[in-house]
Amino acid sequence: MNANLLTDAIGWLFDPANQVGEGGIPIRVFEHVRISALSVGFALVPALGAGLAIGHLRRGEFLTVTAANVGRAIPSLAILGFAFYFVLDLTGRLGDWPTVITCAVLAVPPILTNAHVGIREVDPDLVEASRGMGMSGLQVLRIVEIPLAAPLILAGIRTSAVQVVATATLGAIVAGGGLGRYIVDGFAQNDYEMVLGGAILVALLAIVTELFFSAVEKLASPARARRPTSFAPAYQEVAQVGRDDVSG
Amino acid sequence: MRRSRSYVLGAALLALGLLLGACGSGEDGTTGSDEPERGAITVGSDGFYEAQIVGAMYALVLEDAGYDVSTKLNIDSREVRLPAMESGEIDIAPEYLASLLSVLDPENTEVVNTPEAAVEALEPLVDEMGMTLLEPSDAVDVNAFVVTQETADEHSLGAVSDLEPVAGDLTLGAPPECPKRPYCIPGLKDVYGVEFGNFEPLEYGAPTVQALTAGAIDVALLFSTDPLIEENDLVLLDDDMDLQAADNITPLVRTDALNDEIESLLNEVSALLTTDNITPLNARVLVDQDDPEDVARDFLEENGLL
Repeated sequence: MNANLLTDAIGWLFDPANQVGEGGIPIRVFEHVRISALSVGFALVPALGAGLAIGHLRRGEFLTVTAANVGRAIPSLAILGFAFYFVLDLTGRLGDWPTVITCAVLAVPPILTNAHVGIREVDPDLVEASRGMGMSGLQVLRIVEIPLAAPLILAGIRTSAVQVVATATLGAIVAGGGLGRYIVDGFAQNDYEMVLGGAILVALLAIVTELFFSAVEKLASPARARRPTSFAPAYQEVAQVGRDDVSG
Repeated sequence: MRRSRSYVLGAALLALGLLLGACGSGEDGTTGSDEPERGAITVGSDGFYEAQIVGAMYALVLEDAGYDVSTKLNIDSREVRLPAMESGEIDIAPEYLASLLSVLDPENTEVVNTPEAAVEALEPLVDEMGMTLLEPSDAVDVNAFVVTQETADEHSLGAVSDLEPVAGDLTLGAPPECPKRPYCIPGLKDVYGVEFGNFEPLEYGAPTVQALTAGAIDVALLFSTDPLIEENDLVLLDDDMDLQAADNITPLVRTDALNDEIESLLNEVSALLTTDNITPLNARVLVDQDDPEDVARDFLEENGLL
């Protein structure tokens, strides 16, 4: 790595001229976050829904495996190409929807896999005990399985989000916005400070995303930040809830 | 015996006479001082279809004249092709004048919009590299601004200068380097006073054309010899104020490999080529998937060069 290029790129990042206008850094960062958030958001419902259901019912597990493998094997660029023509045909407009569609597809496998595995790994004795206390399937899912699987589920969403942030740069190839614009435009215009500056921004955003979701994970499951080595506390809580629910 | 000695002497003299006679004449019996040596020649070109067609034309006329021609019509970048010409691996290649100038003299930001100006600027540069430029053809492959027929009718557009009053309401779609290229956005502003309301960075070719026909952009950038223009009934706006560079297709030849015969054969090919007649040739390769060599051969036969 040319040391001059790195210093030039950092200079580019702090250049006041690059902070303003619709091509300025703040706006591109905002666009990128919006694209990423929409992508993960759209992926959440189907991926989480399917993962939780499959893990809980222990049915259709081949689906998760297949979806995960195929999902990782499809080149995002190909999906982007199809999405571009599809959206253009449908709306006659250019924009970020092709990027969101592509990244949503990309976001599904980690969420799906982790939700499935998270639920499956909940101690079956615990699940059986809960059922024995009269909980319905849905109650078991809500009260026992999801809370215990939460760390893994959130880890899946975290992985997904970081992947999306990195890949959303592709959208710039089909007239999309976001930080990818710096990489694509910089490359086309022979402006490698811009390319490197853009890449640094994407990397920073990915790190921030990682840290953000890690914090959320810790908040969501303080007592279960580590896998429980003793089930006694869990059993007690389940028993208490069971008593409340069944009598209520 | 005396008789046999004179027979031997006579035979020797005859043989010597025949030998001397044979040395004195060329292949076809003439004294060979104005027949060129027709050795091995290599024609190279970019792997882009238009360059391959023209390269094939050069190769075919030379082969027809008796040269031993081999071709390498797939060398994509000047960074590779030019050194190969300097080292003698390639002898002849079709070049685009203004583009070649921008590579050999990148500091020169002046718009070079006539072939004469381009050749003048290039001559010392190629001479230094041991090469010679022949006569430029009238086939120019440059930036072309196109619109749909509807847009042309709506705003009465026939030439690029017609865009000036309405450009603020229109969107331009072009590759992402356009905002920094003198023959694109800055040039449109300087020469035509045209400033578009919006710019969409798109990949060259099908994505740009699709965006244009879908109405997502109003004006698109294509190349003047692109068959997609005609295929989609698009209107090519005339460059009436000569913004575009003189990117005339011209033979570039290694000086050591050049002789008068080669020069005149290649100039004959260049004299035939125009922007209008090269576009359908491109279409045959791009759309009909014909082989560039077949397309080249048909064209030369139709025009009596083969």
